[in-house]
Amino acid sequence: MKPVLAIGLGNPLMGNDGVGCVVAERLASDSRLPEYAEVICGGSDLLGCAGQMEGRSRVLVIDAIQRDTELGSVVTFEGARSGLDEHQDHAHHLSAIQAIRLLEMIRSIRCTLLGISISSVALGTGLSPELDAGIPAILNRVLQELGRPLEVL
Amino acid sequence: MKTVVIEHLARVEGHGGITVELQGDTVSDVRFDVFEGARLLESLVRGKRYDEVAPILSRICSICSVAHSLTSLKATENAFGIRISPQTEQLRELLYKGENIQSHALHLFFLALPDYLNRPSATALAADKPDAVLLGLRLKKLGNLIQETIGGRAIHPVNAVPGGFATVPTLDQLIELRNALTEGMQDCVAVIDVMTSLPPADFCHDHTVYAALLSPNADSYYAGDEVMVASSGDRSIMRAAEYKKLTNEESVLHSHAKHSTFRGRPFMVGALARLTVNPHRLTGNLAAAMERLKLQLPAGNPMDNNKAQSLELVSDVERASEIVEHLLQRGVQDERPAEVHVRAGTGTAITEAPRGLLIHCYTYDADGRIMAADVITPTALNAASMEQHFRSVAEQSAGCEDADIEKRLEMVARAYDPCISCSVHLVRRS
Repeated sequence: MKPVLAIGLGNPLMGNDGVGCVVAERLASDSRLPEYAEVICGGSDLLGCAGQMEGRSRVLVIDAIQRDTELGSVVTFEGARSGLDEHQDHAHHLSAIQAIRLLEMIRSIRCTLLGISISSVALGTGLSPELDAGIPAILNRVLQELGRPLEVL
Repeated sequence: MKTVVIEHLARVEGHGGITVELQGDTVSDVRFDVFEGARLLESLVRGKRYDEVAPILSRICSICSVAHSLTSLKATENAFGIRISPQTEQLRELLYKGENIQSHALHLFFLALPDYLNRPSATALAADKPDAVLLGLRLKKLGNLIQETIGGRAIHPVNAVPGGFATVPTLDQLIELRNALTEGMQDCVAVIDVMTSLPPADFCHDHTVYAALLSPNADSYYAGDEVMVASSGDRSIMRAAEYKKLTNEESVLHSHAKHSTFRGRPFMVGALARLTVNPHRLTGNLAAAMERLKLQLPAGNPMDNNKAQSLELVSDVERASEIVEHLLQRGVQDERPAEVHVRAGTGTAITEAPRGLLIHCYTYDADGRIMAADVITPTALNAASMEQHFRSVAEQSAGCEDADIEKRLEMVARAYDPCISCSVHLVRRS
């Protein structure tokens, strides 16, 4: 088992909401991906990835985040994620934030959330051209995060 | 007049919830407002080749991705007259069991249980009842392992293709699955223990009509082509191709979800409906567990859907174990998918997704491209029934505080295990 797992979240049928999965797919075929890292797409069910998260030194969750900041900008959240919405919007699954908190509590899984800023979602496959153009920069940012030594976290 | 509003029950693109208007203790109006995204997703497959359809539609939902994938394949195979092998049917049934196990575990232990135990969320529940949350997590992991082994991935399966499977599980994988299922059997005993320890949820009774796939062989979610509607002593049966006789969809002013009624009455789909329509499943361990749960069928309380899901968890683990054992004894043939010969035509499939009947109907042109698609999800079928039960809750909560009425409404909504907002799951700034 590789010590680091990166999980892309999102629904590819809902436009920019699927950016986490798009990043995961492109990362998986990127020659710069470190040997010690594995990448998967988790759809919108992070809890469903719990089995694959167990035993890892570190888990990186890549997800869309609705913010007013520049489209495609990436923000890292560690530990207490103040300001992120824990409201249960979903009637039949947990939000990524809830799932991360839960897994940290009961499984001692260490998660870092990389939030990719988007402003809206709409039905349709594929990212908006503006967000798609920003994918190389997002990949660089994710690779930078994957390269951070564990002891500084 | 006062109005009880729950805005955040479930949301897709910003809107969804329950509104109850009361004149004194009399309920004057009940509205269940939803934005049903899945219906719009049909436009995404128009013009697509037959082998592109299931991978796209399986992404409607991460929790129900197997159900959408297999129902889609079945509709396509029906359109082209493809007959799948008994082994494929068995593997698909096993894959479906995996989805049901992980979905019911998620719903019961992470979403419903906090309601019963007065905790605001699963994280709050995990703080002082970690054993229950860990039990749910183990069962969810078991379901995901089945999906990964048979479907190739835990979420959005890739192995199931038109006519069969691209790859079949190895002997080692099946042995690993057998061991995991054996451990899962122990957890199933604990599931019934947890469910019987919960306080009663006895605040909604109404005559309920149920609709489910008739399952003549064991407890199949995949095989079968006939739907039974059960209402007291009345029984009506129709074939998948006649699904519009069941759904009778109508637009309503207050909701983006169409309402379905059968002979003018709302009907409920899901685990409770499956047990009501197929009582022959309830033997042995299940009959004993049902007695412990004090579940009587037909039930008039939608909260009993939670009990029914716990029974299905037990039966699904048992049945999955039987299928794996059979595959191990008989050996898995490395067979290729059945050949596909495209032709113009229409195919319909109805299966039992974790939260109830799921309908896919496609019309193909002579080149095997989709001309028209119709996808009706269990939550869409349940919308009218949910509204009926919200009214019952409000009527039977006369004199209660608003907060109590709100909690009861949320619990009944949760008991339906609705799948409204799964298309979008954004992290939002508070």
